[in-house]
Amino acid sequence: MSTGDAPARARADVPVAERVIFAMGGGGFTMEPTNPLLDDFVLSLTPAKQPRVLFLPTASGDTTAQINAFQARFADRWCVHEHLSLFRLRDARRSLGEVVLEQDIIYVGGGSMRNLLAIWQAHGLDELLVQAWRAGTVLAGLSAGAMCWFQGGVTRSSGPPEPLAGLGLLDGSLTVHADGEPERLPVWLASVRDGTLPGGWSLDDGVGLLFRGLRLDRVVSSRPGAGAQRVDQVAGELVRNRLAPELLGDGEPSALGGLDEAVQEMRRVHRMRRGLGERDG
Amino acid sequence: MERDSSLLDDYVLSLTDADRPRVCFLPTASGDADHYVVRFYRRFAASCDASHVSLFRRDQGTGGVEDDLASHLLAQDLIYVGGGNVVSMLGAWRAHGLDDVLRKAWRKGIVLCGPSAGSLCWFDEALSAFHGAPRSVRGLGMLPYSNCVHYDAEPARRAEYHRFVGDGMRPGFAAEDGVALHFRRTRLKHAVSSRPDGCAYRVEHSADGVVETPLKVTYLGETPAEGPAAGEALAPVIEPASASRRTRARRRTSRRSAAAAAAAASPGERLPASPEPVPA
Repeated sequence: MSTGDAPARARADVPVAERVIFAMGGGGFTMEPTNPLLDDFVLSLTPAKQPRVLFLPTASGDTTAQINAFQARFADRWCVHEHLSLFRLRDARRSLGEVVLEQDIIYVGGGSMRNLLAIWQAHGLDELLVQAWRAGTVLAGLSAGAMCWFQGGVTRSSGPPEPLAGLGLLDGSLTVHADGEPERLPVWLASVRDGTLPGGWSLDDGVGLLFRGLRLDRVVSSRPGAGAQRVDQVAGELVRNRLAPELLGDGEPSALGGLDEAVQEMRRVHRMRRGLGERDG
Repeated sequence: MERDSSLLDDYVLSLTDADRPRVCFLPTASGDADHYVVRFYRRFAASCDASHVSLFRRDQGTGGVEDDLASHLLAQDLIYVGGGNVVSMLGAWRAHGLDDVLRKAWRKGIVLCGPSAGSLCWFDEALSAFHGAPRSVRGLGMLPYSNCVHYDAEPARRAEYHRFVGDGMRPGFAAEDGVALHFRRTRLKHAVSSRPDGCAYRVEHSADGVVETPLKVTYLGETPAEGPAAGEALAPVIEPASASRRTRARRRTSRRSAAAAAAAASPGERLPASPEPVPA
């Protein structure tokens, strides 16, 4: 089903090498409330001085918890942030095209990969995201919001882990939470071995893959000890290669985001007082 | 599940003919919002075998039904679909195969009902306004009409619906907040309301343009209102308010027959206690 909403203005495509996807196995504001390393890294991926950041909490069903965590993380950072609900905003006057195609960064939360892709498709949002990527918008996400960019991933959307096709912007498959939810890994390995999924990457929580164009550029981590591996099937056998992520911020989370702690605390209290009954968006 | 009235809920329960109906809630259109699920149990758990299906947290053991959703849904007396975004809901249903399960449930005689998105979904076409211009959305199609809800509550909803029907949308039914349309098979049997002045309309294309005909709406409350003008023009729906109405409705709707009750939402359905109103 198409949205029928033409974007306000189509941006020109950028060269392939300038298209950016950052896929996290877990981490960021929903999973690391006191560790902003991955989110600050995401902000650093756009040349925009004051980036426009859009959060898509679709995979969770647009939970208040995810939206609040997003706002808490980005409110004090030098950016313009908003979220897009596909369930709850009745007063949205802008078309999906206008919202999606005018961002510097689109950040996709975790949850049900199956629901995420189906709901995007129902709204025509999958096509808009591809357009955004081609036009140079940074696509970032964790868990379901990371696997969705690849040819496939392993989802627990229906309970037990199972392989599921993604949007296929990036070659290969991805499995997430390799340390936090170890039951996914054997299902992924079996799927790669029997060819259900192409070879790809397995990421621990806190590890992110940075793709420029279709090429893996960097493997970064917010946590000492978190790992990643590349796995391929060669002649029916699995070939595994361990990757060593570079630790962001020298392993010392700068939770203050450049602001004095007292100022930070004051803003937080102010937001809480003002914001408890406030509508999102 | 209007906050201040259980009249529509009581009415739809009466259609099941069961002493203790098995009722399953599908809150998909709200993104499985927790507070909505809680409200469902508060309303239904005492008098029904109540359960819910969450399509977002199937892996988290949060008390919703897991594993074999189809068998569970097909064993219900009533399936209650919550309000929210109809496009997101239909997308998620398809991904989990629930569209086919619900068509089977309808053929099996399970009563299907819901407000707002939970009404639109049963029709062939629905008018949905979400993120910009209103548009036509294809529903599950058990009812071969179009549907428009919140007919009184949203500015311009009426003009938009007329425009769409004029431009070729199927003829159909519009309901104000608090009014429910009760279909048996594909025929409209009753229009009932939790408010004395609730109105519903048949909207169709004719040689003279789009024609809106008020339906006879039966107020379900104890004190019938001083006859709202709405009921008088034409009444394809014939059922005067009376004390024995519910008993007769029960007699008429046998468990074997396919029945669908589609309810339009009241403002109560938009979850005013929550910071996140559920849209149509």
